[in-house]
Amino acid sequence: MRLRHTVVAALVASTLVLAACGGDDDGGDEGSAGPGQISFYTDKGAWEPQFLAVSDVSETSLGLGLDFTGYSDAEQYSAFIRQSFRTDERPDLFTWHTGSELEDLVAEDLLAPTTDIWQAAIDNGDVPEAMQEHFTVDGETYCVPMNAAYWVMYYNKAVFDQYGLAEPTSWAELMTVADTVKANGVTPFYETNILFSFVWFQTLLAGTDPELYNALSTGEASYTDPGVVEVMEQWRGMLEGGYFGDPGDQTAPQDQLKGGTVAMINFGTFLSGQLNSVDMVSGTDYDFFVIPNVNPDLPQTSLIFETGPMCTAKDAANETSALQYAEWWMTDEAQTAWANARGDVSFNPKALVQDQLLADLNEQSASGDYRLLERYFEATPTPVLTAALDGFSAFVTNPGDPMPILETIQAEADAYWSSQG
Amino acid sequence: MSGLAVAAPEQTTTPRPVRRRGSYRWSARGFSLPAVLVVAVLLYLPFLWTTWISFTEYNGLGSPSWVGLDNYRAMFDDPNFLTSLRNTLIWVVGSITVPVGLGLLIATLSYGMRFGSWLRLPFLIPYAISGVAVGVVWRFVLQNGGGLSQALDALGLPGADSRWLSDAPLNTIVMIGAAAWQQSGVNALLFVIGLQSIPREPIEAARLDGASGWRMFRHMHWPMLRPLTTVVVGLSLVASLKTFDIVWVMTKGGPGRNAETLAVTMYEETFVNSAYGAGSAVAVFLSVVTFLAAITYLRRQLSAERTV
Amino acid sequence: MTPMAARILRPAILVVLGLIWLAPIYLLLVNASKDPARYAADQVWRPVSDFALFDNIRQAWEIGGLGDAVTSTVLYSVIAPALAVLIGAAIGFGIVALRLKHGFFWFVLVFGGTVFPLQMILMPLFVGYVEAAIYDSRLGMVAIYTAVTVPFSALVMRNFLGGIAHQVFEAAVMDGASTWRIFWRIYLPMSTSALVAVFILQATFVWNDLLLGLALSQSDDVRPLMTAVTALQDTYGGLQLTAVLAGGLLVSLPTVVLFLSTQRIFSRGLNLGQF
Repeated sequence: MRLRHTVVAALVASTLVLAACGGDDDGGDEGSAGPGQISFYTDKGAWEPQFLAVSDVSETSLGLGLDFTGYSDAEQYSAFIRQSFRTDERPDLFTWHTGSELEDLVAEDLLAPTTDIWQAAIDNGDVPEAMQEHFTVDGETYCVPMNAAYWVMYYNKAVFDQYGLAEPTSWAELMTVADTVKANGVTPFYETNILFSFVWFQTLLAGTDPELYNALSTGEASYTDPGVVEVMEQWRGMLEGGYFGDPGDQTAPQDQLKGGTVAMINFGTFLSGQLNSVDMVSGTDYDFFVIPNVNPDLPQTSLIFETGPMCTAKDAANETSALQYAEWWMTDEAQTAWANARGDVSFNPKALVQDQLLADLNEQSASGDYRLLERYFEATPTPVLTAALDGFSAFVTNPGDPMPILETIQAEADAYWSSQG
Repeated sequence: MSGLAVAAPEQTTTPRPVRRRGSYRWSARGFSLPAVLVVAVLLYLPFLWTTWISFTEYNGLGSPSWVGLDNYRAMFDDPNFLTSLRNTLIWVVGSITVPVGLGLLIATLSYGMRFGSWLRLPFLIPYAISGVAVGVVWRFVLQNGGGLSQALDALGLPGADSRWLSDAPLNTIVMIGAAAWQQSGVNALLFVIGLQSIPREPIEAARLDGASGWRMFRHMHWPMLRPLTTVVVGLSLVASLKTFDIVWVMTKGGPGRNAETLAVTMYEETFVNSAYGAGSAVAVFLSVVTFLAAITYLRRQLSAERTV
Repeated sequence: MTPMAARILRPAILVVLGLIWLAPIYLLLVNASKDPARYAADQVWRPVSDFALFDNIRQAWEIGGLGDAVTSTVLYSVIAPALAVLIGAAIGFGIVALRLKHGFFWFVLVFGGTVFPLQMILMPLFVGYVEAAIYDSRLGMVAIYTAVTVPFSALVMRNFLGGIAHQVFEAAVMDGASTWRIFWRIYLPMSTSALVAVFILQATFVWNDLLLGLALSQSDDVRPLMTAVTALQDTYGGLQLTAVLAGGLLVSLPTVVLFLSTQRIFSRGLNLGQF
């Protein structure tokens, strides 16, 4: 009998896993949301309160709410969504990226088309028609815009007031402003070598030659073109001339602007929300202006915008409701709620944005004075982007001859575009 | 559950135990089975999939397409792979010297002393603090002009203007320091367990013979600490080869990838570029190297231990 | 070195080193206690004038919705390491005392579980979990946390039990004890400090896990705490640094208490030799 005890008892350990916590099992399918709830996944986990605020509005007016699951790590989020299509845990609604990320999903026929929803929204004036092309692959449109942001120059009003500076309207004026604060011991511009290292490349190139900027993202131009090299040399001059803050300083941009470490930050309009969160008041403590073109002869001012899609998986558990939700998301009711919850602009010009500075920008952007250009981050195919971010982060940390960096990026671009046939 | 199904017949077929070594064959297997089972199903099986993916081209969608050894060839041709390899080696050397050495020092100094376990506590707290807070705090310390620079400046020491996280190999070295901050206490704790299991009599006898301090440690404690030294070094070896979290959180691999380790390369390929095949190839290479290093070390240590 | 000098030098070295070790903790405490409006990046060492720790903690707790995740996380970080400690001790006992045939092979097989980079098994695990219908379940979470903590436990326990003289086992057999009884009543009690050490280290690991939690769970009552905590701070904004630190501090408290409360186990000798 002793042996019997031994074997049985020794196996207890292996079965304990099941025995000890079988009762704790809540079943495997909480993922499927209840009636009136659609499962929603996003890599912007920090925006949960804002999404839930809009969900409250939709529950009243649409009878549908969001069952929110947030990720804080964009890379793992992407992997999760990709793998979920192999299972029946695919999300009803999820945020994604335009460009090659979107094309990957379309190539495998995983998304529900939204061409009709878009047409109705455009007819209704809810979304600028120009935006549709960024959501269209081979003539069919997918997803709806989740948010929109413009890239502008934020500045610390106290610093500007102290040195009697006004918002510049030309590149020359901008540099005069920068020289003035620099002469007074304040670093003009924010710079970082993590993730957002591409920002000044984007600004300088888009403000110098927007055609080249677009051609670069479609593979029609090379990173070693003289125009690109020239922009890199200009950037290098500014880096070496002390126009930028320490790229290795990991202090959050809002804290750097607040503390007066830097006078200006070239950033997306979502920085407004972050500045508000550190108790800076829009229009009083900070303001922003559209960055003037480097090349004064261009007919329109280049304005960088970014937009992230909100997509519906084909054959998702609640596909119909999810499409309904996507349709509602573009309305001015949804966008007013969203923009004000986030403290950001909206793609819908009819949305009532409370923040006056942002509301003005929302209106202006629709006028003919601006040429909207897609943010470098979305416009560039992922493998090329990865190489470029690595290159730019090294460049801002140790400015030097840009040619080796550009050649490395171009090698990646050659490989990518040749594989695309 | 399959554990039960496999093992159940064994009870009836085994003879009554007698006091010979061979007769514990079945109970030895019964005791060992749960560990083997749980590890095989939940760790080995998924990694088999990764191994298969390493021979394919796959972006996480649709079906992988077989490319043979292409991913491995591309990996060895990539100049960044060499940087990763170099940084990983620095991590291995750094991790099995600094935190292990400090752990041993803390353990031997504090062991047997009154309030020794309380003096050990400051070294354990870092391990108990959650990663989010640790990341923020170390950014305070290591960013340019941050806490470390301010401290050096205040003490009149040179190096205050170092770019801690930007320049290689300095960034790898300071991150090893941060890792040592978290790990030394754990190593000390493991060494303390080793010290606790040392029988008192021989130590007392040696003390009566006039042994103390360094000689006592060298000739009495150190040989008897061997099993736990194996544990600590073995764990540090494996963990350092797989270094990822701290590098990713602090630098994302550093400017121009200069702080990248193999695990960071693997992560970047797989999760940032969605090149699952290329990332898996790095993972397989990394696992094989780690496994060989661990098995070589453990075999030597465990066989030596038997002869002691 | 004279014994007298050693008596002073030993604690002195420990105290100095300990103070260095506590410096980052000081930064954590001081900055988590600052009023967000008064926080300045270039003055991280400066102590607080007004104490806002509890406001910051409250903010992190409410916005992060941390309350939901506490129950499940406590469950995982108690059950999984406890199972892992037992399973690890069992295989250690099987190899060392019962002399499992090819023991080194099986031991290496189990320890080999740690060589795989966890990030790379997340995706196959996720798909496997969905197919086995244990995705997003507490059972599934406990199972994977047990699996990843077993190799560590097996290594420590195998080596620790290896220090117990085999005569102990033989004497017990002479007395007619079953192998189970020898394991449960003799070997486990003799290894208390090793068991506790493995348990608290692995419980801390599980408590702080983010990777597995993100990949294998989705609903609020299954997802572990850290997934909520990291969402406090990410690239797209989130809470202020002071609140992030306060949140990080708050969720670290249970593990710090765990370490504190088990200290006395490590302060006395075991003296395995007497058996």
